[in-house]
Amino acid sequence: MRIGDFKETYAADEAIFRTPAVRVWMGALGAAMLVFPFVAGDYLLYLANLIGVMIIGALGLNILTGFTGQISLGHAAFVGVGSYAAAIGATRLGLPFYLCIPLGGAVACVAGTVIGVPSLRVKGLYLAIATLAAQVILEWVFSNWDSVTGGIRGINVPPATVSGVPLDTDFRVYFLIYAVAAAFTYFARNLFRTRVGRAFIAIRDRDISAELMGINLFRYKILSFMVSSFYAGVAGAVWVYFAKVVTPEYFPLSLSIQFLAIVIVGGLGSIQGTILGAIFMTLVPELLKAGTEAVKPFFPDAMSYLFPLRDILFGAMIVGFLIFEPHGLAEMWQRVKRYFALWPFRS
Amino acid sequence: MGRWKWIVAATGITAALALAAGGALAADDVIKIGAAQPITGRFAFAGVSINAGLQDYINYANENGLVKGKKLVYIYEDTGYDTDKAVATFKKIMAKETPVIMYGDSTGLGKAIAPELNSRYKVLYGSTSFSSELADPKTHPYSFISGPTYSDQFGILLEYIAKNHKGKGKPKVAFFYSDTEFGKDPIPYARNRAKELGIDVVSEIVAKAGAVDVTTEVLALKKTQPDFCIFQGLVVAPIPQVIRTARDYGLKTTFMGTFWSMDTSIIDKLGADAEGYMGVSPYAYYYENAPGIQSMRKYNEKVNPKEKSRPTYYIQGWFTGMVYVEAINKVLAAKKPVTGDNLKDAIGKIRDWDTGGMTGKVTFVNNKAAVGRVYRANVAKGIFEPVSDWIYVK
Repeated sequence: MRIGDFKETYAADEAIFRTPAVRVWMGALGAAMLVFPFVAGDYLLYLANLIGVMIIGALGLNILTGFTGQISLGHAAFVGVGSYAAAIGATRLGLPFYLCIPLGGAVACVAGTVIGVPSLRVKGLYLAIATLAAQVILEWVFSNWDSVTGGIRGINVPPATVSGVPLDTDFRVYFLIYAVAAAFTYFARNLFRTRVGRAFIAIRDRDISAELMGINLFRYKILSFMVSSFYAGVAGAVWVYFAKVVTPEYFPLSLSIQFLAIVIVGGLGSIQGTILGAIFMTLVPELLKAGTEAVKPFFPDAMSYLFPLRDILFGAMIVGFLIFEPHGLAEMWQRVKRYFALWPFRS
Repeated sequence: MGRWKWIVAATGITAALALAAGGALAADDVIKIGAAQPITGRFAFAGVSINAGLQDYINYANENGLVKGKKLVYIYEDTGYDTDKAVATFKKIMAKETPVIMYGDSTGLGKAIAPELNSRYKVLYGSTSFSSELADPKTHPYSFISGPTYSDQFGILLEYIAKNHKGKGKPKVAFFYSDTEFGKDPIPYARNRAKELGIDVVSEIVAKAGAVDVTTEVLALKKTQPDFCIFQGLVVAPIPQVIRTARDYGLKTTFMGTFWSMDTSIIDKLGADAEGYMGVSPYAYYYENAPGIQSMRKYNEKVNPKEKSRPTYYIQGWFTGMVYVEAINKVLAAKKPVTGDNLKDAIGKIRDWDTGGMTGKVTFVNNKAAVGRVYRANVAKGIFEPVSDWIYVK
C-alpha cells in the first residue's frame, strides 16, 4: 500500500506520470489499446474510431473553452474546414496523408485566427454568438462553393496508404486515429505545464488580473483560438480518412453543441475529462439503444414511443451531471481513485 | 424491491435476451434482410411508415409463401437519422446477423458506406433515397433506388407539362428548392431536360426548408409569372405558405411536388389552397383499386385493423420489399446461391415486371425504375387522383 507520496523537486511535482503506479497503469492502458483492434469486431472498432476523432476535436475545444474560458459554437465548422482542406489536398493535389493531416490543421488554424479576432472585444454569450456566425457562414460556404468543396455532394477521398497498404478498414484506420489522438493528448497535457498554457488558465480565471500580470490578452486569446482550431482541423482531416467522404451535412451546429457537451460532461479544463466525455457521449446513446433493442421483442407495438425514450433518458443523464457533478466525469473519476487509494482500510 | 426479486428479475431478463439471440433459425432456409431505419429523428415522419411497410411486406411474403422453401427474416434498428449512427448500425447488423440484403435510412448512409459496401460487404442495398447519385452503377453497383430518382421525377413532370400545356407560347416553369442535397439533386438535369422539351425555366428560387416568411420568394415568382412551379427538397413548410401567398398576389401558377411532398397529408395542411396542387408519385395510393394495392389493404385489415389509411411512405417500404422478393426469386430460379452479387445482377435483369398496379411496368436500368404518374389533389375527397397514365422516362 502507498503510504506517502513525497516530491523533492519541482520537476517531480510537475511530472506527467507522477508515480510508478501511474506508469504501470498507463502502460496497461496502452497495451489494452494495442490489443483491442485485434479482438473487437467491426461495430466496436467503428465506435472506437468515432471516439478517437471526437477526442481530438474535443481536446481542441477544451483548450479554448475549458482552459482559456472562451466559448465557441463554431467548433464543428473548424472541423469541417480541416476536413475539406485535407480532402482537397488528398484528391486535387495528390498529397499523402501525413501532409494532408497537418494541412487540415493549418487551414483550420487560419480560419480560427480570423474568427478569434473579435474575442478581444466580446466575451461570454456575445462571443458565443460571434462564433455561431462563423458556424453558419462556413456551413454555407461548404454547400455553395461548388468548385472547391464539391457542393452538397461533397468530395470522395481515397484511403490513406502507409507504404503501399491502404488504410481502408476500421481495423487499419484505428492505428492512424489513435496515433494522432495519443500525440495530441500528450501535447495538450504538456501545454499546460508551459508559460503559454499557464497564461491561458490565467485568462480564464480573471482576464483583467492576467493582463495586470503582463499577459498580452490579445496575443494569448488568439493563440488559444489557433491551437484550438488546429486541433479541430486535425480532427477533421483524420475524420476524412476514416469516413472517406466529406459533405456539408457532417458539420451541423448540433455537432458544435455535441463538442461542448463532451467538454462539459467530461470536465471543463481537464484533459482526462475530455477523453471520458468523448467516450460517454458516444457510447451511452449506443448502450441505451442496445437496451431498447433488447426489450423490442416484448413491446413490438411500442417502438415509436420506446425509441425516443432513450433520447429523453440521455438528456436527463446530462442534466443530472450538471446538477450533481458540475466538474464532470473527470471529478467522478478522481473520487473513485481516492476511494481505492485507501481501500480496503477506509471506506 | 428486495434483493431476491432483483436477482429473479435479472435472471429473467438475461434468459429473455439469450432466447432472443438464440432464436435464429437454421441458416440454410433463412434469408436475412437487415435495415437501418430512421425511426426517430427528423425523418421519423416517414421512417416509421417505411419500416412498417417493409416489415409488413416481408411478413406477407412469408405468410403467402412468395419465396419457395425459404423464410425471410427482417432485422431492423433505429438510426435516429444521423449518418454516424447509421453507419454504426449498418456495421452492427452486418457483424451480428450477416444479412445478404440491407436497407438504409438516407442518402448520407449510402454514400458513407459505399467504399466498404463495394469492397467488403457486397450486399444488396436499398434505401429511402431517391438521389441520382446512388443510381450510378459505377460508384454504387450494389445500390438500387425503389423507383425513379428525383431527376426522373422532374423528367416525368416536365414531360407532362410539355404535353398538356394549353396556353400560348412555351410553358414557363419555376423551380423552388431547398439549399440541401435533397433539394439540389435533380436541378442540373431538370434544366437540361426542360431545354430539350422546349420549356422555359423562368426562375429558380432557393429557400430554407421550414421557412416561415416567403414574401420575397413569392414576389420573385410574381415577377416571372410561371405557369408551373415545382417544389423539391421540401416536405411541408414552406409549401403552404408559398401557395397561400401566391394566391393572395393573384398568381395563376400550378404548384407541383415530388415524392416527399405528395403524401395525402399535405392536402389537409394546405386546406382550400390544395385546389390544383399536383405532383408526381412513383406509386399508387393506398385508396386506389389496383390489385396489388387491394391485397396490401386486405393484409392490413387482417394484421393492423386499427390502420384505416397508410401514407405513401408505407407503400415505398412495401414496394422495396417486393423488389427484394423479386430479386431473390430470380436468383433462386436460376439455381444460384442468394448472395449480394447475384441479387444485384438479378435486379439489373428485371424487365417489364408487373407489380399489380403498385406502379407501372418496372424495368431496372442503372439501378432504378424510372416510372411515375402525375396526380392532382381532390380537395373535397382529400385525396390525390391520377391525371396521367404511368409515364416512363430514361
